[in-house]
Amino acid sequence: MTQSTSYFSRIGAGFFGMAAGLLLLSGCATMGGTPEEKAAQAEVNDPLEIPNRFVFALNETVDTFVLRPVAVTYDFWMPEPGKDAVRNFLDYLRSPVILANDLFQGEWDRAETTATRFVINTAVLGVYDLAADYGHEKHSEDFGQTLALHGVGEGPYLVLPLIGPSNPRDAVGFGVDMVLDPLNWYAWNTDRDWIGYTRAGATAVDARARSLEALDDVKANSLDYYAAIRSLYRQRRAAQIGNQRGADSTADGASDAYQDYLPGGTDAKTR
Amino acid sequence: MILSTLRKTMAVAAFGCMIALSPASPAQADNPQKATTFIQELGGKAIDTITDKSLAEEERLSKFRTLLNQNFDVPGIGRFVLGRYWRTATPEQQQEYLKLFEESIVRTYAARFREYSGEKLAVDNARADGDRFMLVDSKIQRPSGPPVAVTWRLFNDNGGFKIVDVVVEGVSMSVTQRSDYSSVIQSNGGNFDALLKAMRERLSRV
Repeated sequence: MTQSTSYFSRIGAGFFGMAAGLLLLSGCATMGGTPEEKAAQAEVNDPLEIPNRFVFALNETVDTFVLRPVAVTYDFWMPEPGKDAVRNFLDYLRSPVILANDLFQGEWDRAETTATRFVINTAVLGVYDLAADYGHEKHSEDFGQTLALHGVGEGPYLVLPLIGPSNPRDAVGFGVDMVLDPLNWYAWNTDRDWIGYTRAGATAVDARARSLEALDDVKANSLDYYAAIRSLYRQRRAAQIGNQRGADSTADGASDAYQDYLPGGTDAKTR
Repeated sequence: MILSTLRKTMAVAAFGCMIALSPASPAQADNPQKATTFIQELGGKAIDTITDKSLAEEERLSKFRTLLNQNFDVPGIGRFVLGRYWRTATPEQQQEYLKLFEESIVRTYAARFREYSGEKLAVDNARADGDRFMLVDSKIQRPSGPPVAVTWRLFNDNGGFKIVDVVVEGVSMSVTQRSDYSSVIQSNGGNFDALLKAMRERLSRV
């Protein structure tokens, strides 16, 4: 238990400390300038842009030299059923965390689905999504979304080392999800650090392999990759939080943004 | 992970509209049925054209350009993407920007087109968004992996439709691009020419 406690305090305190520190920092960051500049700052929501860009560049270096090459190799050599099995197994391991968050959100039907899926897929050791064949579709949840549902705002945009795009709410959520995970407790209690590392590595490679084309596309078609990713992350999170609750499936605020849309790009008065 | 769902299917979503051979439907534009048909037909024709191997690269680009202008409100999107910076540009800068914007959007979609590998477009339903817009929900079905949700924002244009935005799994292409372009101008101290320069450089590289 002492081992687990120390491990937990290292990881947990690290996360909470970092998030808290960044919250403070962001509070100190001055929001100055003209009303237009202020509006623009609110839109990008990135008072820590300079340190964020620095960490982003570091992450990009790791990605270019390590993660992407590994993901490309994996994507090329691993047959499709193998990739599916890896993904199913990783999702299966996440079931307890998804269940906990379903419950925190009062989503009883989804909690039941998650529990049913876990039981059914245990029969195939999690490597095949048997439950989906019986109509129990997979969904994801995390504590960042739970916090959002309970009214916690995202806070300023953050780029975390190795983890990537985030914000204080999602960073805290990430830490909480780690602590919620029984597999992590098992690993910490039995001093099997390799479990956490292997799983983190597999998750990273799987996720990267599945986003190879999308990220290559964004990189090729954006002028400022950092800014494009920032926008993508924030829209995607807003959609994940709003989507499953019957909200509009388009990005939050997109409908508002189109209130001023000028067809043909010409002012109404000149038409 | 967040981006994984975009994948190459984003490409197909885009092509769906680009390659359609017919102009916007001339029928009653405020009818959801017409809106779904518009997207469905575009998708079908797009896939027919994708699989047409007889087209040379040059022809394909010029075809893209025509289809793009027929089915997308290109100048409107271009202006939307600039947001508040549109007004900071001189008329000459606006002109050049719109030209570069059209060129870059054509190249982008042409490149995505090349990655087509058997995806299919299934249109679900359409709903009105305010008086002026229709949102058409669709799914891109991929040969492997889960389907990708794509929502098309259409503008009711005097009895026809023009696409003004493509939303892939909750991510709006236009909103993303606006963030991207604004950042270029902003990090150059509000200098509009910096954006034009970056766009020109990007085009000359492709």
